[in-house]
Amino acid sequence: MQIFSTFEQSQYLELAISLLEQKGIRKENIYAVPLNGRKKNIPLFDTLRRSDGYSVSDIAIALATGFSVIGASIGFTLAWGPIYWGLIAALTGFVIGFLIKTGIIKWTERGSGPKSRSRPAEVILIIQCGPDQAKLVEDTLWEHLALGVAMVRNDETGD
Amino acid sequence: MDDYSNRNMARRYKAYVNLFGTTYLHPRNPYIIGWWSAAFPGFGHLLLGEYLRGFLLFLWEVFINLNANLNTAMIYSFQGKIGQAKQALDTQWILICIPVYLFAIWDSYRATVELNKIYLLAKRENHPYKSFSIGAFEINYLDKRNPVMAVIWSLFMPGLGELYISRIVLAAFIFLWSAAFFYYSHFFQAVVLLFLGKIEQATSVLNSEWLLFLPSLYGFSTYDAYMNAIEGNKLFEDDLKNYLIREYQNPSFKIFKGNRVK
Repeated sequence: MQIFSTFEQSQYLELAISLLEQKGIRKENIYAVPLNGRKKNIPLFDTLRRSDGYSVSDIAIALATGFSVIGASIGFTLAWGPIYWGLIAALTGFVIGFLIKTGIIKWTERGSGPKSRSRPAEVILIIQCGPDQAKLVEDTLWEHLALGVAMVRNDETGD
Repeated sequence: MDDYSNRNMARRYKAYVNLFGTTYLHPRNPYIIGWWSAAFPGFGHLLLGEYLRGFLLFLWEVFINLNANLNTAMIYSFQGKIGQAKQALDTQWILICIPVYLFAIWDSYRATVELNKIYLLAKRENHPYKSFSIGAFEINYLDKRNPVMAVIWSLFMPGLGELYISRIVLAAFIFLWSAAFFYYSHFFQAVVLLFLGKIEQATSVLNSEWLLFLPSLYGFSTYDAYMNAIEGNKLFEDDLKNYLIREYQNPSFKIFKGNRVK
């Protein structure tokens, strides 16, 4: 039997593999293929010099900090004082930065294809074992948060 | 004990997992790093992982700023009271400040561009790196952390987000300085008065010179914790991917041409 499964990348995957090895599955009968994620084709952001520009928070927090300093300064002369005005200004800066960045991302992502909302399969894991072990392997994979599991029998040998 | 020791077999490593935290290369936006240096000298370098330079520039800025009354002058300037701003400033100190301030911005921008190239070279070389470290005082390992939790803890108290993602030295530094800024600005005294509805009293109890350090420190520690939680997750995935390819791709493994039975 060969048992196919998909996983997210997490410590559970290594826990599953090590448990199967402990239960007698040999290392050469375990085959893993890490997948590349869906390519985010955004040339404006994913260049060599600025690829963490994709984060929606960077401009937002930067603007929040700047606005907050100015807001707190002016707040000393206003009725609500520097703390309230500092917070209001920080929030305003964050929202403006967030809108700018999501606007840019939306604009650059236009027509880049459908988006998947479900949890992505990041690793394909194939376990080869005898029919007597199949149930054990299947249960182990599900218990370690496999996203999907399927069994295939070898038609030539009947394994 | 480390799971893998760097024996200078590689030209460059992507990451170094040690007891005090994980230092790693990842591509960054030089404008964002430059902006943080402008918000507070040292922050840009800290974001790059150049901690000693960051600490040095930060300490310099706090020392000069307090002596020159720079924050007070900034407050007057933003209020449009230019005359009072001029009077508040101590000329002796403010002129020392300018070259260091500009250097911090320029150097962190330049370093980002250089480190991005080095990241690309290290990524192409893809040499194994240490991913686990255990010692008498600490344990550090690659793992997935939730960036939202990193932000929430940072907002409660700057430094907690860094502690959550095992950036211990930086967390200690931020703790120390946020304690000083909170205390000397009388921030919590004012917060209590605000809760009681005494807004004017709250304003008068605040020390403006110290208060103006707080927004930068809050913003920086939140961004640092958020960004590094995400980058740490990416590093974990990179390490796991390399491990699976190295250990679980036996050439003799053949896929069965059969039917799905279940």
